[in-house]
Amino acid sequence: MRERDEDAFVEFAQSARTRLRRTAYLMCGDWDRAADHVQEALIRVYVAWPRLTRAGREYAYARRAVVSVVLDHGRRRSSTEIPAEPDPQLSSGHDLAEAVTAREALLSVMAQLPPRQRACVVLRYFEDLSVADTARALGCSEGTVKSQTARALDRLRSVFEDSPLGELTLGGGTW
Amino acid sequence: MVNDVRALLQEAAATPPGDDTDLSAVLRAGRDRVRCRRRRTIGGLGLASVAVAGIVALTSITGTVDGGKDGPAGSRVPTPEGPVLSLREARQAVAGKQYDVLSSYANKDLNAANGEYYAGVSDDGLILFQDGPKGAHNRIRWALLDPQTGEKDWLPAHAIEANQRPIRVGADRIVIVTDVDGLGSGLRAEVFDRRTRAWSTLSWPGLPPSAEMLSAQVAPDGRLYVGVPAHTSEPPPGGWPTQPDGDAEDAGAGGDTYELWSASLTDASDVRDEGLVVGSFDFTRDSLVWSDATNGINRRIHVRDLATGVERDFDPRSGARCNLLGFGATADRIVLSQYCGTYANGRDDRVQILTADGRPVTTIQGDDIGGYIADAGTGDGHLVEIGSHFGDTEGTYVYDLDTDRLWQVTDKTAAWDVSGPTPRHRLLWGTPYGAGAGPDGMDQGATQWLVRWR
Repeated sequence: MRERDEDAFVEFAQSARTRLRRTAYLMCGDWDRAADHVQEALIRVYVAWPRLTRAGREYAYARRAVVSVVLDHGRRRSSTEIPAEPDPQLSSGHDLAEAVTAREALLSVMAQLPPRQRACVVLRYFEDLSVADTARALGCSEGTVKSQTARALDRLRSVFEDSPLGELTLGGGTW
Repeated sequence: MVNDVRALLQEAAATPPGDDTDLSAVLRAGRDRVRCRRRRTIGGLGLASVAVAGIVALTSITGTVDGGKDGPAGSRVPTPEGPVLSLREARQAVAGKQYDVLSSYANKDLNAANGEYYAGVSDDGLILFQDGPKGAHNRIRWALLDPQTGEKDWLPAHAIEANQRPIRVGADRIVIVTDVDGLGSGLRAEVFDRRTRAWSTLSWPGLPPSAEMLSAQVAPDGRLYVGVPAHTSEPPPGGWPTQPDGDAEDAGAGGDTYELWSASLTDASDVRDEGLVVGSFDFTRDSLVWSDATNGINRRIHVRDLATGVERDFDPRSGARCNLLGFGATADRIVLSQYCGTYANGRDDRVQILTADGRPVTTIQGDDIGGYIADAGTGDGHLVEIGSHFGDTEGTYVYDLDTDRLWQVTDKTAAWDVSGPTPRHRLLWGTPYGAGAGPDGMDQGATQWLVRWR
């Protein structure tokens, strides 16, 4: 990569990493792991940088790289990795009665979702992506995004309804 | 109580702990991975920052040639073994004498939007015309362009996103390979049947997911051959030192190897481990040629007769610090493109040409050059296209393997370039459009040329 391109990459990485880390955190539930995932994703972005800048889609690619890294890590972890120490910011159990706030409760339930369902929720309602853009980020069909999101939201909603925390909505009021 | 999912997610991620992401580590690792990919895009990356005149002239003036052997980094560019050519010795090719222009296409403002490109030439002489990727979905449209009439025959729409590479443009079918995840992993083939005008998508459940898209090629038996990483050399502790332009200085690196696999282009269940570990590989019409390692030092080249299975091998006698980056073979020649180190007076890049039994023909040496057999689409190419991206030798050159003559065809190279398979005697090259007139002194665009070599 030429020096001029590398400067542009560094500028992009500095501006994008905080947002990418937040997305990664919501997908994996651990800030340190999120930072590792973002670092790996940024390396992939670096490699692809010359053709990315030509197409003007740097952030979308970086987000897709983050999603891919998190999901890949989840697959490897399921077979080979010993889980790390739990994130102290997360509720440790699955009993919502232990959750002090709705935020903790949401993270706790999301931690129980399959990784792709969780990714759908994060991309649709944190990143505010359309169904089509979410499908592209996950490398699946729009129908899969719709069904995975619906299952995830059903799960979240049912857990909240059975708790003293109250109703869970999507702001606009529709699921 | 009402809890909004969006608000809760924003709140949950609003106060991250301190971010100690080490961007310098990202850069180091990125450079190392770019190094691994550089062999595939040779010529398009890396500009040496040291001004240098012709290599041969300089070494003869300064008298620092080490008796034909490579010197250590920091000294002056060494001279390869055997006959050596400098780009300064090239003759000027002239349209109408050495070649005929069949078609050209200018993208006049590639800084504003992506353009259209010649992505290959079919065996029956039609240009594979690529429009994009463009639009919100980064889609590509394909057409077959008749260079004689200028008419485009648009192919039926087929969703292929940006990461794709045409590897075969036949009179019967077009084969485009792409990755599965958009990030370079996995392999899928999009095949267009020109008779039925229908696309089909092939992926192979039995093929290891790490199969490297960039290595894929169609062999004379009609199967797709691809490398699956077997051994990847590691950078030294702390990473490679970097040059002023940020490129890794990795001359003399240990090489990478791949398991050679093949897959049917009509039956997704037909996948074979060929039981061969290779570095780079290429097919001629009747042989498989491969190196022991790639992307690093290579000590051995093997040639297998496809009809009899008889093999021979030899030492290519490449330089001691030469990383093999590009590899190609014809019936009687083998072409190795190499990076051999950066010295006080510039980069040592070489295009080494051998006979099929290992005897040296010539080595074209220069600063920031790379070469490949450019008309190999039908397996019988004989023209090596060489790009020189720096200094007063900048331009595109053609080395004719039949006549052993070196020709200069342009005096500038395009900042944007797309190429693809072309049949014997057909070449694609690019020139800048609006050179230096774009933002930050970049070119505005590029013109692609299709020529017939005489």
